[in-house]
Amino acid sequence: MGVEVLALIYRNLRARPVRSILTLLGIVVSTASMVLFLSFGEGLRKALGAELSTVGPAVLVLPEGVEAFSPGYPELRPETVEALKESASELGISQVIPYVVLTRGGLDPQTAFVFQGIPEGLSPQALYPNLTLAAGSLVPGPKGAVVGSRLAERNQLGLGKVLRLSPSISLRVEGILKPNGGLSDNIIYVPSSVVQEALGTRNYTAAAVGVREGFKADQVAGAIKARIAGVNAQTTGDVLRFAERAVRISDLVRFGISLVALVVGGLLVANTVMMSVYERIREFGLMRALGAKQGFIFGLVLLEALLLGVVGGLLGLLLGQAASGLVNWFTGREVGLALSAITFRLAFFALLVAVVLGLLAGFLPARTASRLKVVEALGRL
Amino acid sequence: MLEAINLYKRYHQGEVDVVAVDRFSYRFPAGLTAIVGPSGSGKTTLLNLLAGFDVPSEGEVWLGNTPFSTLSEDARSELRLKHMGFVFQQWNLIPTLTALENVAFPMMLAGIGLKERTARAAALLEAVGLGHRVKHWPHKLSGGEQQRVAIARALALNPPILFADEPTGNLDSASGARVVELLLHQAQEGRTVILVTHDLELARQAERVLRLRDGRLMEIEEAPARRSAVSSC
Ligand SMILES: Nc1ncnc2c1ncn2[C@@H]1O[C@H](COP(=O)(O)OP(=O)(O)OP(=O)(O)O)[C@@H](O)[C@H]1O
Ligand SMILES: [Mg+2]
Repeated sequence: MGVEVLALIYRNLRARPVRSILTLLGIVVSTASMVLFLSFGEGLRKALGAELSTVGPAVLVLPEGVEAFSPGYPELRPETVEALKESASELGISQVIPYVVLTRGGLDPQTAFVFQGIPEGLSPQALYPNLTLAAGSLVPGPKGAVVGSRLAERNQLGLGKVLRLSPSISLRVEGILKPNGGLSDNIIYVPSSVVQEALGTRNYTAAAVGVREGFKADQVAGAIKARIAGVNAQTTGDVLRFAERAVRISDLVRFGISLVALVVGGLLVANTVMMSVYERIREFGLMRALGAKQGFIFGLVLLEALLLGVVGGLLGLLLGQAASGLVNWFTGREVGLALSAITFRLAFFALLVAVVLGLLAGFLPARTASRLKVVEALGRL
Repeated sequence: MLEAINLYKRYHQGEVDVVAVDRFSYRFPAGLTAIVGPSGSGKTTLLNLLAGFDVPSEGEVWLGNTPFSTLSEDARSELRLKHMGFVFQQWNLIPTLTALENVAFPMMLAGIGLKERTARAAALLEAVGLGHRVKHWPHKLSGGEQQRVAIARALALNPPILFADEPTGNLDSASGARVVELLLHQAQEGRTVILVTHDLELARQAERVLRLRDGRLMEIEEAPARRSAVSSC
């Protein structure tokens, strides 16, 4: 392989610029769409990791059969919480913070109000140590609320404003938090008794459990499960693993969708290269007559497809990066989360896919070109 | 060096068989050999067999001690690269390579380094009088210039055998004469030059002329006397 080969490939692609550019665009768009689709999974992973790293207590105790992320009617009974507190020292528990969650207005973070009821006299910092106060007080009073920055901003909640939790329960805004960049910016922290009253229950959603020094979260979670009936105890690591499984499944689904675009992109390359093979039958015949082996012709055509694939893949990665930035700018403004992330391994995977695409697309044209009969290709001279 | 033994080539065209080359045997000596004959007499088919572009239905082509025509496609390609050079009637050059790159192409196939093959290609173009055309694209060259580039390329790996199929067919007489002169010169250098032509005037300059009719070798006309006449021109 010499510079003449590269010159042949490059000049051949340049000889029909419109066709080459259109083909390239096809790969660019299909790779970019795949990159963008898969970047959502990476974004989710990143956001989850960041979110969980801001959570203080290391173990979450949930009623059995409830997963960490599913909101629902609170089912953790007060007796269970008491039992946890009683055997705290035995199990290696440093603190037990039961809380109860109430969501108003659906799952859309734009319009939803998420009330998190925490034990009276406790600051939300006990759950999210990174939180800091912007104005007012950090500990909500008996009929008070401490509001996350983003939610406060969106609903123009100043200090002293009144929030309605139910027709009979209203709360005064007593504190406003500084932005934290996570989900906690969208939460209203109130005393748990208020939420329980609104729901007509004495139950809790879950209890965050701190681990005493010298104990491991996994150990403590295991001990809790063994000791207390009817609960499940998850460590941050468990939650991450569970989330990872869910994200991986959604990755597969999104890759499946982008596969359609990739297949179309691949067929585009195959078509272009096949056409250019048919146009150059004489040229290949001449090369063979001069002494080129079949493998040389095969490589020449395959390289052309590969070049289209690699260049298209690289440009597609750049376009995907730009699209991901745009998505993040938008979701950052709307919900304060970067939804999309292009990690190194995603970039590597995208390029790998582009290379494989180029090779697959080039295979048939390359085989056709290399198997031409010399006499026929020369047109019987 | 190059020898055809009982070469036989049959084409099937629907129901009828066409015999394009019929029991052709000849051992090609060094020097210029012309193959002449009316249209359809099998000249091009014979050349295709001798050069290994195609395989005979029967018979063999030997290249030195190698049964050339029985080898695989790739093996024939490799031998062709090292032992044979070609000048065709037209479309000789790769259109997306410059004159210089076209001449360097066989050297690249043979694995000669970029520097060396570029220098050698430039020298070869100089030798055929095209030192000022190295960077030109084939379509910017005249027909005669294209043929001379093809001759330079045919000589790139210094092969003992040169094939030329109607090399002057598309040229005016002046450029044709130039091309013939170059081929004659190569024959005098001791190469085996095999020239297929319609042009009897051209054939007369060869040391021997093979006459084909219906694929059969009808007559071998030796003309050793012409050798001196040629070298004087
Ligand atoms: N691929 C082929 N299929 C069928 N018949 C063929 C094929 N190639 C050549 N022929 C036939 O073989 C015979 C010899 O053809 P060839 O081209 O070798 O003649 P030629 O002497 O080179 O003619 P010309 O002077 O016109 O170039 C002709 O009858 C031709 O029709
Ligand atoms: Mg012919």
